[in-house]
Amino acid sequence: MKRFALAGNPNCGKTTLFNSLTGSTAHVGNWPGVTVDKRDGVYKKLDEPVAIVDLPGIYSLSPYTPEEVIARNYILDEKPDCVINIVDATNLERNLYLSTQIMEIDVPMVIALNMMDAVEKAGDKIDEKELEKRLGVPVVKISALKETGLKELMERAFTESKKSRAGVTVLNDTALAHLIGDVKIALKGQNVENPLFHAIKLVENDSIEVEMHKETENMIDEFKKTFKDDVFGDDFEALIADRRYKYIAKNFDSVVSRKNKEKHAMTKSDKADRVLTHRIWGIPIFLLVLFGIFHLTFSEDLLFLGKIFSFPGLEDLGVDIEAFGGQLLACFYDGAVFSPGVIVNNLWNNIIVNYGLGFGEGGWLYNLIAESGMQSWAIGLINDGILAGLGSVLSFLPPILVLFLFFSILEDSGYMARIAFILDRAFRKFGLSGRAFMPMIMGFGCSVPAMINTRTLADEKERTATIRVIPFFSCGAKLPILTAIAGAIIAYFGVGNADLITYSMYLLGVVTAILTVLLMRNTTLKGETPPFIMELPAYHLPQFKNLMAHLWDKTKHFIKKAFTIILASTIVIWLLTHFSFSWQFLEEEEVNQSILAQLSMFVQPIFTPLGFGSQLGQFGWVFVVAAVAGLIAKENVIATFATLAACLVAVAHLDIGTLDIAAEEGVDAVQAMILATNITIPALISFIAFNMTTIPCFAAVGTAKAELQGGKRYGGTLIFWLATSYIVSCMVFTVGSWWWTAFIWAAAIAVVVTAIVVKNKKQNKAKA
Amino acid sequence: MGIWEILLIVGCATIVFGVIIGSIVRKKQGKHSCGFYCDGNCGHCIKAKDEKKPE
Repeated sequence: MKRFALAGNPNCGKTTLFNSLTGSTAHVGNWPGVTVDKRDGVYKKLDEPVAIVDLPGIYSLSPYTPEEVIARNYILDEKPDCVINIVDATNLERNLYLSTQIMEIDVPMVIALNMMDAVEKAGDKIDEKELEKRLGVPVVKISALKETGLKELMERAFTESKKSRAGVTVLNDTALAHLIGDVKIALKGQNVENPLFHAIKLVENDSIEVEMHKETENMIDEFKKTFKDDVFGDDFEALIADRRYKYIAKNFDSVVSRKNKEKHAMTKSDKADRVLTHRIWGIPIFLLVLFGIFHLTFSEDLLFLGKIFSFPGLEDLGVDIEAFGGQLLACFYDGAVFSPGVIVNNLWNNIIVNYGLGFGEGGWLYNLIAESGMQSWAIGLINDGILAGLGSVLSFLPPILVLFLFFSILEDSGYMARIAFILDRAFRKFGLSGRAFMPMIMGFGCSVPAMINTRTLADEKERTATIRVIPFFSCGAKLPILTAIAGAIIAYFGVGNADLITYSMYLLGVVTAILTVLLMRNTTLKGETPPFIMELPAYHLPQFKNLMAHLWDKTKHFIKKAFTIILASTIVIWLLTHFSFSWQFLEEEEVNQSILAQLSMFVQPIFTPLGFGSQLGQFGWVFVVAAVAGLIAKENVIATFATLAACLVAVAHLDIGTLDIAAEEGVDAVQAMILATNITIPALISFIAFNMTTIPCFAAVGTAKAELQGGKRYGGTLIFWLATSYIVSCMVFTVGSWWWTAFIWAAAIAVVVTAIVVKNKKQNKAKA
Repeated sequence: MGIWEILLIVGCATIVFGVIIGSIVRKKQGKHSCGFYCDGNCGHCIKAKDEKKPE
């Protein structure tokens, strides 16, 4: 099967083209650096199927970042049958810089002029025939987004792939040509493949090339002595870059005819950026946008209208909320109009999980099992273990998807890239560049791809620090913990509101990330902060297809996880709570003698300073079990509460009133835990904080190990997560319980900071 | 113990051991249990690790 590689600048639409050609749903984002590795797909609309390889976006074939090395090695070593060079037609001059380098490799090549829809919309024209003549390679106009010109592109690429093509360079007419020609002849004599490309890179003093062709070093140095440039001296890399740009400007400016002749006219994106990336208002606007997202996802009082106008509740209006119609109405309104997130959540839980799937108490499946005539342990295992655990996890799908949808909209519109830009100044003070923000923000979705995305960071120490703090950006799996406990605090203690609690906990994660980065960059991971240069993509309306693809990916992943690892965990937890060490089956009333309870009671004192240890009495071990189960996957925390709730209610003879511990988003299960243990609000907040900052899940641990390549940094990362979560939770609990302990913490932090500053000053003096 | 109870035990054991063995196999293949963002193609992580890093 023939293989075509897609290569081009970051954010030029490679992955959109890849998805359109292969029917894949690979993640597409409106910011540079979404793809950090190559991926494969198949195009089936030609006479024979063709493998398509999507390469990471690169600006050049120089080895500055791992992605550039991946793309370069693929084209040189794997020898694709054709390289499709995607060029952003709205930014032709800059994109052709990479094209001039790919042209130097002996590989068939086609240039795809992407985003032609945007060019035509702006009233501009590109003469692709003239461009093709000047470059000497086929040029095809396409729009990956609108899926136009794709068939022609693939047909021309297929035709080109049957021919062989020798590399050509645009540096031919320059004074450098002689020098490059000499090196090329020397390399050809040694039977080196792609001699022109390697010759130019050797002249550029490219580190990989110099390492690969050490034997030519002296010879090239001799050749270089014969060349002199008054401006660049012996900086051949800068000299060659300059010559390329000069050639592009001279030859290709005329192929573009612009409607608006003024080159620097303000676009709509520029105008929006004057407000959104304002040096003072940029960050407050971002915080407001973030709060808006949380409000639209979690608030039970949209725009606080219910509080302002004191609307009547459904019961005051005489609506029978027990009837189906009343229940349906209650999904949208009860004394206040609910936010879209809450409406979707209510519809999902009241109508689908409880009625459709019948997971809740009184649901058809629940009743079917209860009346099946099976032995009581089997009924308990299914209804109180499996269905309660699964139901509690599945009930969180809507808020996760709604929150994720809002983040996807921000990302797809191009605003996320701006946030990286406006945060760069602040980040720099903490020892990171704005580039680190993109993987961090991806952490709100899932830590695993976020950690992989840190490959865009060239500095290893910055990368390690970023990987370590990514879990503090609360991922979707932690959302159930937040909403269930926040919901229980509101329902049981009657204080706070859901959107404010979740928003503050997300902010706590961000603040912890910033402070710990500051600590690491001044102690174990000291180093210069690399400069941050990022091209800001143009704003555009989010694409419905992309958004749906993101949501589908997330749903698929969530369901898969629920029916594998979460299901297996609930079964194991049920088993361990119903058997003793002597392998005797225990009734629910004997749960304190179970293997799980005994083991958890043993380690319970460790959690006492965090508020959910020994002080919670004989049933406090449930919080330990939930916290430990959360280390496997964070969805396990609420699933564990739901699985254990029935046992606790039975053994503690709790009067749970109207609580439905088997359903209702785990909120009622958490309330049962509060009833049984008398846990306080600060301890509950501390429990959330612990889960938000500790080891995220097995999958993330595996990724961190792979990305940090094991060793000391990986071990240090595990210790860092455990220590941070312990200290942060302890601080939250003690300050929440006894406000004056804030002074003790402040003093302790001051001592640590002073010690670090003094030590660093001493070290700097010694170095000087 | 009836047929349903036996089926339940077999089903639960299959799920638990299936997940454990599955994750061991995936780990040996160098795959993460993620499947998100990367279109389910996790093999690339190991490939990338083997790539020569720049000086």
